[in-house]
Amino acid sequence: MTKARKIKDGIKQGFIYLASSITFIILLSIFAFIFITGKDTLSIDMIRNNYWSENYLVSVPDKQVSFTLERDLKATEAFSERYGVVFEDYIDFENQSQLRVSGLSKGSLFLASKDLSIGDNTDDILKIEVGSQIEKLEVVNKDGSIEKFGMIYNTSASELAKSLDAAASIKSVYFISQGGGIWGSLIATLKLIGISLLIALPLGIFTAIYLNEIAKKNKLTKAMESSIELLAGVPSIIFGLMGVIVLYPITTLFNIDGLSIFLGGLTMAVVLLPVVIRSVTESLKTVPNGLRMASLSLGASKSQTIFKIILPSAISGILSAVLLAISRIIGESAALIYTMGTFINDSPKLSEGATSLAVHIWSLMSQEQPNFELASAISIIILAMVLVLNISVKLISKRLDRKLGY
Amino acid sequence: MNYQKRKKLIDVFFQGLFALAAMISASMIVFIVIFIVVKGVSVFLPNYTNPISLFKFLGGLTWRPDQGLYGVLFIVINTLISAFIAILLAFPIAVLTALYIAKIAPKSISKILTTVIELLAAIPSVVYGVFAVGVIVKGVDNLAQIFNYSTFGGRSLLAVAILLAIMILPTMTSLSIVAIKSVKKELIHASLALGASEVQTNFKVVLPAAKSGIFSGLTLGLARAFGEATAVSMVAGNRSIGPTLNPFNITRTLTSTMLSGLNETTGLDYDVRYSVGIVLMLTIIISNIVISYVKKRVGSEV
Repeated sequence: MTKARKIKDGIKQGFIYLASSITFIILLSIFAFIFITGKDTLSIDMIRNNYWSENYLVSVPDKQVSFTLERDLKATEAFSERYGVVFEDYIDFENQSQLRVSGLSKGSLFLASKDLSIGDNTDDILKIEVGSQIEKLEVVNKDGSIEKFGMIYNTSASELAKSLDAAASIKSVYFISQGGGIWGSLIATLKLIGISLLIALPLGIFTAIYLNEIAKKNKLTKAMESSIELLAGVPSIIFGLMGVIVLYPITTLFNIDGLSIFLGGLTMAVVLLPVVIRSVTESLKTVPNGLRMASLSLGASKSQTIFKIILPSAISGILSAVLLAISRIIGESAALIYTMGTFINDSPKLSEGATSLAVHIWSLMSQEQPNFELASAISIIILAMVLVLNISVKLISKRLDRKLGY
Repeated sequence: MNYQKRKKLIDVFFQGLFALAAMISASMIVFIVIFIVVKGVSVFLPNYTNPISLFKFLGGLTWRPDQGLYGVLFIVINTLISAFIAILLAFPIAVLTALYIAKIAPKSISKILTTVIELLAAIPSVVYGVFAVGVIVKGVDNLAQIFNYSTFGGRSLLAVAILLAIMILPTMTSLSIVAIKSVKKELIHASLALGASEVQTNFKVVLPAAKSGIFSGLTLGLARAFGEATAVSMVAGNRSIGPTLNPFNITRTLTSTMLSGLNETTGLDYDVRYSVGIVLMLTIIISNIVISYVKKRVGSEV
């Protein structure tokens, strides 16, 4: 080999290494960015909370007791011994300073607070939970005078804790419950998965069976196969358009008006069809022909053979179809924006619009001040689910291969 | 009814059920096309409440729903430009990575990289969108400052192109891997036996032989680039007059147009999205035809 050849080869080889490392770095930086931005927001509370915060006015009972705190205080926190509450100054994602409850002692008086708003719920217990923002807190001093604190009055955490300890009683607390949770979207996602699978699985499995087991190999079958292939290449936003005009009439049969989880589920069922059909077809093809012949020659009918012999042998393909379908639903956004809307719903019903986790992210990101931390935290959850599902599919297909002796 | 008769009846019932399911599945694509075309064309017809002219729609360079101006031509051009830049960025990386995975890398590294590609393919597009708004957009903004150009917070044609490049990378890579792996061993051995170096063989024998598979990866990648909606909408910035060739300027793609300002589900502003949808499908189909034409020309000397 000449020297010039060697140098040329070296340069080309260098490009190959460069390209491969770029691919690797891209994945790494996506994961790193999402994880670093979202990790502080990700918590059980965030998963279990509602997204929308609500305003409450409550009274706090009086008892002359003293509380202790089992943990150490941060520099921005202050503890009121008399009420057993930790207050914290913090900066929210919109860069505004807030005052919130960041911890409660066991049996804290704040957990026994009662609703002051006039209506059916007056005097019901309405706990001031960790994460609540204290907007306005009226304190009765020992000399009977009333003093006001809270975010409206720019009170700091330490001031508030000190004056609470010195006070005679609390007249009222006006607070905003902690929002920013994803519970509603999580439930909506689960409902969406349920409906989509309920429709897509039978339809997809039956189609795969028809095309592989029953249909004659003629032009019509070929045309059907290629039209299903075409479906796989349609961009998801087009499925969204389709859902609104083709499937919406079906939802009106169930007295559903407007965008709904049900409509989203129907649309996703269509999106999933090619996924399910392809995966089931692949596993049907691995069922040995001898099994079919044996069953038929024993006098079983075609449908008996399908249900009792072929489907049980193809179970792993059906399972991986389910997992792939779930991962597709979790990741889907464009089609659902059209069919389920972008309003985050804290108590989603089938007949109402709601957001799946992915659309929740879209909703957050299309606000003027995108809540990046929350969006990234949801992204971590979505990524974790999708990766687990994909790895399981891989393991299942590996097992299938082993069973077939590849 | 005796057992045999009942068995036969059940059999007929189920076979009919299977056939029905298959008919429904296969006709879905027909429904999609017909309904979207009908609704998309309806806004140009005279019996629509306030119809827009088809000519102004296809030839227009302004998209201002508030002024009743719906011109899709510049959007098509901008979509093509962003997809083209994305292909330009992603194609070499995808093919070289595939070459490395399929031919050069030791087995362990090849396994790791294959997993990397699979993971990239599995990441949902909203997550790419969050990454793009957090990282790509800022990077583009910094880059623009080097050239003394101010951007709209980094939302730009270049940001869209980089994002799309990343998103189509796994599709193109995995198809290229399959294509490269299926190149016949005899070809490679013959090339090596004639005295070509391994690198020469890879570039001059393996890649041309894998051409067909690599191009089908390109086709799929391009279709994904055109059809990608949510992530692109987050970084496009939705320009209203175009087309723009400046990579640091905001842009507008067909999909970002379909997603922007989605409030009501009736009226011209909503129905015209179906017309844009038709244009999107046509763009994908035409680009597929162009690629298959290019495929025939490129490397035909081999």
